[in-house]
Amino acid sequence: MDGGTSVFTSVAKIDGKKMILSFSGVIRVDNPYKHLESYVNDLDEEIRKTVVENIELDFRELNFCNSNGFYVIMDLIEIIYDSKDVPVIVNRLKDDDWQQETLPILLNIDEPEINDRTSFKEFTEL
Amino acid sequence: MITEEDLQKTNISFNYTIAPVKNIICDLSAIIGNFCEEAIGSFYPRKVSKKANIVITELLNNALENCNDDDSKIGLKLHVDEGNLIVRVVNPVVKEQYENVRAHVDRINSVDNIRTLLRETILERRKDRLKGGLGLIRLVAENKFKLSVEYKKPFLIVESQYVLGGEN
Repeated sequence: MDGGTSVFTSVAKIDGKKMILSFSGVIRVDNPYKHLESYVNDLDEEIRKTVVENIELDFRELNFCNSNGFYVIMDLIEIIYDSKDVPVIVNRLKDDDWQQETLPILLNIDEPEINDRTSFKEFTEL
Repeated sequence: MITEEDLQKTNISFNYTIAPVKNIICDLSAIIGNFCEEAIGSFYPRKVSKKANIVITELLNNALENCNDDDSKIGLKLHVDEGNLIVRVVNPVVKEQYENVRAHVDRINSVDNIRTLLRETILERRKDRLKGGLGLIRLVAENKFKLSVEYKKPFLIVESQYVLGGEN
């Protein structure tokens, strides 16, 4: 028997010279990496082959992330920052505690080279 | 006519007790957390109802992971009114477990910069992909809860309180 829902989706899209990596749903499983390892590896391989001039990370639809989900978000973010030395825009909700307080930590925004490349766009939840 | 302001004066309390713990094979924190988020969100701003979901998830998962008696019970009480959101989780532990939690909470409550503690803990634990250890820090750093613990043998009681104001 199982109850509750835990559906997390991450989609990478190319729009001209822009890559958009969006996150949606909820992360509340015990070990999300176990389920997402192949996606993380595929993304790493694909993004290195792609020419992009800027990247957008979109977290607006990620409704919930439990603390066990932090590492997999960090893995995905790290691939993006390590593979392309281009500006990154982060779309987030201004009234969401985790996106305002913890997401910058997962982005490692305190590192100057990350901070210099990153800008936040704030959105209001509808 | 009931206004939004009136709704945010609603008193809501939920009280769950589940026994035996060994029968909890579902994703209990998700079930209760999502229900409470929806219920509280019918009266209070989303910011408050989301906090309820997060605090329920983190406290309940901690309690289930650290429960030392599978034949015993686990309890969760939630209360929200115009002043506070309070969630209290109770589970059986041995004295040593209580002392570890007490030391962890004392450290969280006394640290000068809780954001720095959260950052350092995430980075440190990520190296070995260690499970747990982040939930209570997160509740304070991210969600601005105040934490307290007590021990009423054999039960550990962890209480998390958020003072409402300015969520609109």
